[in-house]
Amino acid sequence: MKSANTPRPPAVRAMHPSRLDDPQRRVVLHNALLVPLAGGTIGSLAALIPHSAQAQGSGEWRKLPAARQLVGTATPLTQGLVLELPLLSEDGASVTLSVKTDNRLRLSGHIQSLHLFATRNPSPEIARYELAPELGAIDLTTRVRLNESQSVIAVARTSANEVLIAEREIRITTSGCMARMTDADASGEMQTRVRLPGPLRAGASGEVLTLITHPMHTGLATDASGKTPAQRIIKTFEVRFDNAPLLTAQYFRSLAANPYLRFAIRPRKTATIAMRWVEDTGKTAQYSGRIVVS
Amino acid sequence: MLPAMLPELSPLEILLWSGLVIGLAFGITGQMTGFCLTRGLREYWLPGEIAKSGTPPGAKLGAFALAMAIAVVGTQLSDFFGVIDLRRSLYLAPGFPLLLVPLGGVLFGFGMMLANGCGARALVLLGQGNLRSFVVLLCLGISACATLTGLLAPLRNQAASLAMAPTVSALDLSANARLATVAVVSLVCAIFAFWRARLAQHPRDLIGGLAVGLLIVAGWLATGWLAQDDFEPKPVSSLTFIAPIGETIQYSMIATGVKPGFGVMLVAGVFLGALLAALLRRRTQLEGFATPRDMLRYMAGGSLMGIGGALAMGCSIGQGLTGFSTLAFSSLLACLGIVIGARLALPGVARRLHKSSSAMKAAQAS
Repeated sequence: MKSANTPRPPAVRAMHPSRLDDPQRRVVLHNALLVPLAGGTIGSLAALIPHSAQAQGSGEWRKLPAARQLVGTATPLTQGLVLELPLLSEDGASVTLSVKTDNRLRLSGHIQSLHLFATRNPSPEIARYELAPELGAIDLTTRVRLNESQSVIAVARTSANEVLIAEREIRITTSGCMARMTDADASGEMQTRVRLPGPLRAGASGEVLTLITHPMHTGLATDASGKTPAQRIIKTFEVRFDNAPLLTAQYFRSLAANPYLRFAIRPRKTATIAMRWVEDTGKTAQYSGRIVVS
Repeated sequence: MLPAMLPELSPLEILLWSGLVIGLAFGITGQMTGFCLTRGLREYWLPGEIAKSGTPPGAKLGAFALAMAIAVVGTQLSDFFGVIDLRRSLYLAPGFPLLLVPLGGVLFGFGMMLANGCGARALVLLGQGNLRSFVVLLCLGISACATLTGLLAPLRNQAASLAMAPTVSALDLSANARLATVAVVSLVCAIFAFWRARLAQHPRDLIGGLAVGLLIVAGWLATGWLAQDDFEPKPVSSLTFIAPIGETIQYSMIATGVKPGFGVMLVAGVFLGALLAALLRRRTQLEGFATPRDMLRYMAGGSLMGIGGALAMGCSIGQGLTGFSTLAFSSLLACLGIVIGARLALPGVARRLHKSSSAMKAAQAS
């Protein structure tokens, strides 16, 4: 073996003690070691404590005029609102996103509105929700379209005009293995699926799952035949509980096909829950059911 | 849709648990019966070299053929009676890359012979302490990810768009023609297994083929029926190892930010199952490379399997059994590619076998 006589490789030379004595270099090395360590620790802690009040805001929202306008003159809280997204997704056409409030959060008002943005999508706005206090703590899950790797932002405003912000970075990769499942057959369109919670104890919260079959044509994407269908999306989704608005959502083209929404509800009494989806052409779909509180 | 017997688990939990259980069963079967396409082809093509070692030629290939027969019958009937919807699987996506699928198959087959076993086999061997397999798995997983979503992905997408062909499969036939096709294909496989490979005389291989065939069907049923979620339609799939080995490596690195899937649990299960079986049967033995040259060969084999498997949308199991069971034309092309690739690597295998046997003779003589 000739390795004994060959000069030392550069990597080894860089670690030579005399170089380490250089104060500036030491700082750099220090940071290089600390940053991933700290990041890893925080990451694993966050995984262990699902509702930890991790700061979720690096200021990306300042670059987005719509978000800036929403925040206005308020000082946004970057803790308390938790945005959950995978770090990495192989299919940007449908990425599961959830927004929760930290249960240690003490606000003066209840969360009244929630806006979701995808900073680098052709149209950043994903959805906006008007929420009633009967929902209890905020716990929403939906699916969004993400065109490329970017930051996703959630901005919430309470009835006392407090503003909460959460941001998450997500990386989108291309995978040819992920065959696009295009529901070409229009007969299934506007079909709704809803799952309501079983009988609830008073004060307990249950989850409602809703889905409507719809292609959510963006007006930007070309289909298999090379045509670009004009924009046609579900524009609004309204949920009424006991004849009062519970949740009103406005959707934009960054919401994934087959709009899905799971939300938590904490009803005080047995009542009817009614839902209505409206396409931008004016076509509607409805559902009505009953949530029992014992 | 969700069967009433599993009311407590969410569809995602069912998916993950079934992945683990199926993986464990595959790992145990693989460790105990030595189910392996590479060995099957090698013994079938080079019976002279094997006869000395006392292993019956062809039985391993017969086991693979039996697994194919069972997978085809079980999968096609599950779809025929509407239990699962095969059209939601990757293999029956509307179009497939006409050039990349056979090319990927050839690369995979060649790599499989170089590395002395496919990805699934490497997982089983790793479970019993074969560290060569660890190197193979790393090369395979990383090159698969590079091809699917990494450095090579733009190139793959470009090449794929050169020639896309519409997918044709047995599902496009009328009901009677389809059942007849299933019967003919599975009969041919079974005849090969029992008549040509005399599988009935080799109970270990018989059980191996039987179990693996049933596991393919179990995979389809788990992803396509048990774990189906009305609110979150997931693609239907079964046992496949190329992307899952890559995903498992990736998952180990970024687990705080992603959720595991069926594939990751499957890979973990195969390794754990093989480890368990090897420990119980006292067959664990640490093994490494004899020479640096060997290491290079295994690394090349692993990388070729990763790239080839990603291009062909599956490996010897993923296309050879799971893809084959859909009776899609693209899967048949991939299988053909794998066999051709393996055959191309055969002269090298024969040379190595010859060398090692003459070295052994020399050692005995001295």
